[in-house]
Amino acid sequence: MSLVTDSPVSSSGSDDFADFLDDHLDAESDNEDDNGEAKDEFASSSSSSSSSEDEWEDDDQPVSKRTKISEVEIVQNGDAAEGSASHVIVEQKLEASSSASVSKNECTHPGSFGKMCIVCGAQVEVSGVSFANIHKEILIGNAEVARLRDTDTKSVLCRKKLYLVLDLDHTLLNSTLLSHMVPEEGYLNNQIDSVQDCQNGSLFRLSFMHMMTKLRPYVHTFLKEASQMFEMYIYTMGDKAYALEMAKLLDPKNEYFHAKVISRDDGAQRHQKSLDMVLGEESAVLILDDTENVWPSHRDNLILMERYHFFASSCRQFGFGCNSLSQLKSDESEHEGALAAVLNVLRRVHHIFFNELADQTGRRDVRQVLKTVRKDILKGCRIVFSRVFPSQFPAESHHLWKMAEKLGATCATEVDPSVTHVVAMDPGTKKSRWALENDKFLVLPRWIEGANYLWQRLPEENFPVKSNEPPKSEAKVKDPDA
Amino acid sequence: MFFHIVLERNMQLHPRYFGRNLRDNLVSKLMKDVEGTCSGKHGFVVAITGIENVGKGLIRDGTGFVTFPVKYQCVVFRPFKGEILEAVVTMVNKMGFFAEAGPVQIFVSNHLIPDDMEFQSGDMPNYTTSDGSVKIQKDSEVRLKIIGTRVDATEIFCIGTIKDDFLGVINDPTTT
Repeated sequence: MSLVTDSPVSSSGSDDFADFLDDHLDAESDNEDDNGEAKDEFASSSSSSSSSEDEWEDDDQPVSKRTKISEVEIVQNGDAAEGSASHVIVEQKLEASSSASVSKNECTHPGSFGKMCIVCGAQVEVSGVSFANIHKEILIGNAEVARLRDTDTKSVLCRKKLYLVLDLDHTLLNSTLLSHMVPEEGYLNNQIDSVQDCQNGSLFRLSFMHMMTKLRPYVHTFLKEASQMFEMYIYTMGDKAYALEMAKLLDPKNEYFHAKVISRDDGAQRHQKSLDMVLGEESAVLILDDTENVWPSHRDNLILMERYHFFASSCRQFGFGCNSLSQLKSDESEHEGALAAVLNVLRRVHHIFFNELADQTGRRDVRQVLKTVRKDILKGCRIVFSRVFPSQFPAESHHLWKMAEKLGATCATEVDPSVTHVVAMDPGTKKSRWALENDKFLVLPRWIEGANYLWQRLPEENFPVKSNEPPKSEAKVKDPDA
Repeated sequence: MFFHIVLERNMQLHPRYFGRNLRDNLVSKLMKDVEGTCSGKHGFVVAITGIENVGKGLIRDGTGFVTFPVKYQCVVFRPFKGEILEAVVTMVNKMGFFAEAGPVQIFVSNHLIPDDMEFQSGDMPNYTTSDGSVKIQKDSEVRLKIIGTRVDATEIFCIGTIKDDFLGVINDPTTT
């Protein structure tokens, strides 16, 4: 660097050149001493070992220095154009700098596009995450993904946002093939909204895909509100064309999702979803999905949704014998439905994350926040189960028991005065009678499941245990995981 | 880079085209078949500019199809390493941006975007300098240098850089 500042730029030039040459040769010989060992190491891997001597000395210098030198040279060359020696040097220098800028040995090949390194353009095989949702040929190495994730998360957090991964089917909407529609649903054909008007409409017929799609009530408001707090991704097990079409319906102005639509065709594993393609730290990602099993390693990020079955074919697919919403000509409540409930949860998580935990920037974890929020739902309840589990079954590992504990309730096997709720299928059991006698709540298991889906303690009166109804089938309907 | 070259192709023609317009039919079929395709050796065939010579047709046994060897002049486009291209940005994301120069897709990674340009997400993702004077977003026109190419049978992929002198945005759709 000193060369640039120290060497006086004069019109005669040739003296400066002599100085410069001397300095430079000194510098080169220094480098040679310093890097003798390194050179040997590299020599074996170098493709051009015969000419490596000169190249290595050049490469060892910082690029910026060399560029500056060549700039100086050019200035001086312009001043002393007659000096033929200077001309040669300029050419050498330019050569050196260009060889350094494409120097392959320094490139770590952070990713590839069409089997070429995205930084140096060399043909490489990079192992890493395929970002097929962006371009089918893009592959990013794990280290680079980590770096992108880190910077992206920081910028997203700066804007007071978190990440939200949304499932499509049964979460935000429900689709059916036209051929699977039952005669009772024929009336829907008269209620179709035009695709141009997807901002207000909710029922669409996509003739070219042979599909009818019903958006879940409240979804427009939900997306609008959620987009204020979250960077949103769509992640669906549907194929790419379907995913993009649905994204168009949900987001006609392309405000929310852009290229952040991930479909089955992009994912590496079948029947599973992962956060590989989501460029956010796991500690800042929330997932909204109706199926727990597809997220084996991210259950803590997951907000489980009650499945939205609008069409009869969808009910049949999950083995429900009951009439679908479309057959009943009804729909989920707009303002008390699952999406409205979840939006409140999202608001709470967001609020806690950015307001109550604002001082612990480094250690904030959305999974912990979610757990705390969930634990508040049935806080203070002490639950005893009666004839819910098979008698030999270890009660602590039953999913209802675990669910109740996750919701903040404490569970017990025997009744005592501190118990607040008895969960039973049958009012005739000993514990049920005890509950009635002692003025405790006697509720169906659905009460716990309902609280789990709607994220609030539901009124116990709505879940009375009656002796005349066949409780088993009733519970089954509402409990797809059972 | 564009080249004007002569290529040859064997065209099979259905007997129903034989007649006064045989030559016209042959040429229009050639255009339909060839223009817009990509060959690994020559790159994209952009346009056919003339027919040099139509050889003698050979009748195929059994089918009645006739094979004509056709020599034609055409303009081809093939990107080269080191070439400077002007391209239109098609997508911007955290990893960099994609641009198209005609049929060629070019990816410019964020490593090869000048360090003073930062990614801004939002409804129009873009790379912007800290003073906001230069912005790369969808539909921006950029001048870039190709540093790597891969030519497939049907597609050409390139890696580009704008981290060099005189490269970068040449036309911003928002300011015009």
